Amino acid sequence: MSVAIAERSAAPPQHALRPVISFHGVSKVYPNGTEALRDVDLAIHQGDFCFLVGASGAGKSTLVRLLIRDEAPSTGRIFVEGQEISRMSRRKLPKLRRKFGIVFQDYKLLTRRTVAQNVAFALQVTRPGQRHMREKVEEVLWIVGLEDKLDTFPDELSGGEQQRVAIARALVHRPRIFLADEPTGNLDPDTSWGIVQLLLQINHRGTTVLMATHNREVVDLVRRRVIAIEGGRVVRDEAEGQYLREGTATL
Amino acid sequence: MRQIAASLWFALHSAGQNFRRNLGVSLAGVFTMGLIIFLVGGGLLFTHSVDTVLQSQEQNASHLKIYISDNASLAAITNFESRLKNDPRVISVSFENKDQAAQQASQNPDISQALSVLGSNPLPASLNLVVRKLTDLSQFNAMAAATPIVDKTTPTDYNSDVISKLNAVITIIEWVGAIIAVILMTISIVIIMNTIRTAVYARRTEIEIMKLVGATDWFVRWPFILEGMLGGLLAAIFSGAVVYAAYRVFVQAAQGHLLSVPFDGRYTVTLLVFLLIGGVAVGAFGSFLGVRRFLSA
Repeated sequence: MSVAIAERSAAPPQHALRPVISFHGVSKVYPNGTEALRDVDLAIHQGDFCFLVGASGAGKSTLVRLLIRDEAPSTGRIFVEGQEISRMSRRKLPKLRRKFGIVFQDYKLLTRRTVAQNVAFALQVTRPGQRHMREKVEEVLWIVGLEDKLDTFPDELSGGEQQRVAIARALVHRPRIFLADEPTGNLDPDTSWGIVQLLLQINHRGTTVLMATHNREVVDLVRRRVIAIEGGRVVRDEAEGQYLREGTATL
Repeated sequence: MRQIAASLWFALHSAGQNFRRNLGVSLAGVFTMGLIIFLVGGGLLFTHSVDTVLQSQEQNASHLKIYISDNASLAAITNFESRLKNDPRVISVSFENKDQAAQQASQNPDISQALSVLGSNPLPASLNLVVRKLTDLSQFNAMAAATPIVDKTTPTDYNSDVISKLNAVITIIEWVGAIIAVILMTISIVIIMNTIRTAVYARRTEIEIMKLVGATDWFVRWPFILEGMLGGLLAAIFSGAVVYAAYRVFVQAAQGHLLSVPFDGRYTVTLLVFLLIGGVAVGAFGSFLGVRRFLSA
């Protein structure tokens, strides 16, 4: 079985000279005056697995939105694979977004389409006319463990399964960077753990993963890099961090 | 090639699906647009018919009768006549002598009676002039008045008032028709825009996903533009057929009346083609505007 992401090197994180994602003095002030991010410096390397933690409204989602260029930073520069995206033209956005696989708390599935159609949709709208589409869809659904649900509709699936469909859809065009914004926000602990295992598996195959979360158990159990944001600032960046800094009660 | 075919298929399929899934809204949009296209088409045909009638009236009005005084010599009359004939603004000149004038006038029984009571012929001879352009009539009128052989009491006979009024009416009708057509077109763009906005709103998750996975703006836009074009085309076909039928009935009904309207086949074909192209273009433009806000968000 030649699995899309299995083809990549399964080597552990290698810190190439140039980071995959880097923020340089990035601030974001929304038109209503809210300062969502303040002077953020950040570097994420190929193959990293990072947790982005912080209370609601701390700036996690803003950071994700800046990365996919859904928003532009007010000041500072952001680079993705060496390309500056802070002042990128609208025309180049599709190409940037194809580098990412993105999942959200609210799955964003199309309820009138089957599981397989939902996954195929991502290919249809970015690479119309691609050959072997069905095989590619089956491959990623096999990775997420839903190979027997191809023709099921999202409403007939559990929350965890729906999130797996969303992950499969994000994986089908073989992204180099995987962004997960609160992917376990609507799920019970067991199911959440299954989703995190899946993200770790994706990371193990070489894909850089950035997961914004406030799921304390998961962060503490996995023991990977933790970037903590508070009031729009990066207050902590530890290689093997925990949800909370030891000895503090709050973020 | 394969990619283009697949994109086209996706756009067509989505457009059809949109149209069916929001059938109520789509049909309401088509109906409203059809009504507007009908008004535009009907208005243009009406304007054209009135124009045709008025223009034929104008043609009748481009005649000028120059009365010659009784004591003018035949040589002077011939001289004046040939001068008029050589003028490039003149289509034709004919001489009507006193007897012919009496004969012409005798067609009215009252005048015939009056002439027989008088025993003599008081009617003057005249040069009947047809000019190319109405606007030249007043110049010929002035020239005639200054010519010695022309009857000093009533030099000419033409109704300058009617002509200028006809001209004014034609201009007004054309302008009003054009303004109403522009207003109606604008309204139909707004209607299509709102129909498409409803369709876009119903598919906002789909659009969001398309943008997230990296579909281009045009890829997102095309299905909606095709949907708008489809709506515009349907509206134009139905209302075009109704306009055509109504025009035929109108022409039939007007026949034999005072102002009979001729059926203008060429104009009708041009108009129907214009309505079809207009409907499709308005549909496409309205959709483009309708989807724009969601794309830039």
